[in-house]
Amino acid sequence: MPAKDYAPIDENWLENAGSLWTTPWVDKPSERVIVDPIILSHAASLFRKNAGYFYQNPDEAIRMVCHACELYDVTPVGHYLYADYWGQDYGAEIKIQTNSPPGITKRPIKTAEDVDNFEVLDSDELAKGPTLTTHYKALDTCKEEFPHMFAPITQLGGTMEVATNWAAIEDVFMWMITEPEVVDKLCQKAGDHMVSACKATSERYGANVMITGSVIASGDLMDTEQIKRFSFQPVSRAVRKVLNAGAGPGIYYHLCGNHTDDYQMWKNAPMSPFTIVQIGYDGQNIFPTTKLVEAFGDRCTCFGTVDTKLIDRGTPAQVYEQAKEQVIAGKDSPRGFILGTACECPTNAPPVNVHALVKAAKDHGKYEKF
Amino acid sequence: MDITITEELNNTLKDNGFKEAEIKELIANAESSGQKLKARDGDISIAKGGADNLTVYAVYSPSELLDVYAHKMNIIGLTGGELNEIDYDDASNWACAKCGEIALERNVDMTYMGVTRPGPGLVCPKCNEFYVSDGVARTLKTAEAILEEKRA
Repeated sequence: MPAKDYAPIDENWLENAGSLWTTPWVDKPSERVIVDPIILSHAASLFRKNAGYFYQNPDEAIRMVCHACELYDVTPVGHYLYADYWGQDYGAEIKIQTNSPPGITKRPIKTAEDVDNFEVLDSDELAKGPTLTTHYKALDTCKEEFPHMFAPITQLGGTMEVATNWAAIEDVFMWMITEPEVVDKLCQKAGDHMVSACKATSERYGANVMITGSVIASGDLMDTEQIKRFSFQPVSRAVRKVLNAGAGPGIYYHLCGNHTDDYQMWKNAPMSPFTIVQIGYDGQNIFPTTKLVEAFGDRCTCFGTVDTKLIDRGTPAQVYEQAKEQVIAGKDSPRGFILGTACECPTNAPPVNVHALVKAAKDHGKYEKF
Repeated sequence: MDITITEELNNTLKDNGFKEAEIKELIANAESSGQKLKARDGDISIAKGGADNLTVYAVYSPSELLDVYAHKMNIIGLTGGELNEIDYDDASNWACAKCGEIALERNVDMTYMGVTRPGPGLVCPKCNEFYVSDGVARTLKTAEAILEEKRA
């Protein structure tokens, strides 16, 4: 659907939503906490399109996301990204899927020897590559058509995510046991790649908001020492390099999955004045906002979450109850709070459940300490 | 110390409102007090000066001024309040010229327009002096502009 077929965005809503969104970073009071359900291909379902359509049409995808933000009254930011970034640039093949984000079908690294020979691309090469040209098509559309909803986001993932988009996850996990130094090299190269990617975005837009953290490197798949060695340490080094290259200032640590045993180490991850930390799960349960605020509240903006399984398959009442509990625990976090979902809003989640999430923030998310 | 300034850098100084005499004084103070960072593998130094509302850094060799940068965010101390062990290599390429300790890359709390948040600093663990790199100063410029817009 071309731009002309969308109704205009309500400017009054946008101004208010923009003010809510910036509250966490600038300590400027607003009426309530903002909600970010991490809307991506879910926006397509609102327009009776599927995930495949969303990812094949990045310019239209960003329009759908921006209009979904208005529809739900949530964080007004045009997102466009998926998990399997950065494979194609290095020779991987991806498959567009009808009902889920693109997936990698063939990876460039097959053997441990391939890791030694693998060369990271610089920012100029990446800017011309398939990942960023598609990503920038979405961001450019956002900048041109929805300038107040534009953020120069770079989807990095963590070093383990990049590594497993380059080499098969079963090979990387086997090397972790048999030849851990190979995974060290791979993660170091993934970190160098992250720096190049952030520089490319910064050179194009003058700033960069990096989404990094740890998804695969969670407690369900790796032990704490492995997470430290292959995720926390190389991610931290990469973020430092990015900031030292002048390519900040936004950092969003997306710690998806179970982080019961490793979340404390992320307190010492490099931070900028615009840092968000989000943690998905504490064992099998959603990560409690009280615990998140206790660890990170005096350092950065805390992103409290509602279980995506609940958003997808729960009742509106269940979503509302969990969101209420999380927002009450986090709304007065010293350096700001965002209510959201543990990961991307499921593509076919019932809209009424997203509405219940937002309603909880409206009913219970009023700041009391400003 | 006789520092030369290229015409190109002199133009940069003027464009950014820095006065040559002030930069030379800043360097002279660093040389006399020893309060500066020195590259661990070369003869480059970073001096800092200024006031609460603007911290200015001069990067120089024994003969030439190489760069000047600044930030408005005022560093008030280490994030978390004290220097604890952390779980990765945080040694920078710089050492404190006064005590010889390697400067560490650590989060430091910075305040600007009433907002306090962490940022990446270079910290002398012994003298408790804080610096930022030129790249971080560029990042902070973006952060400052956002705060100026949103806090206005």
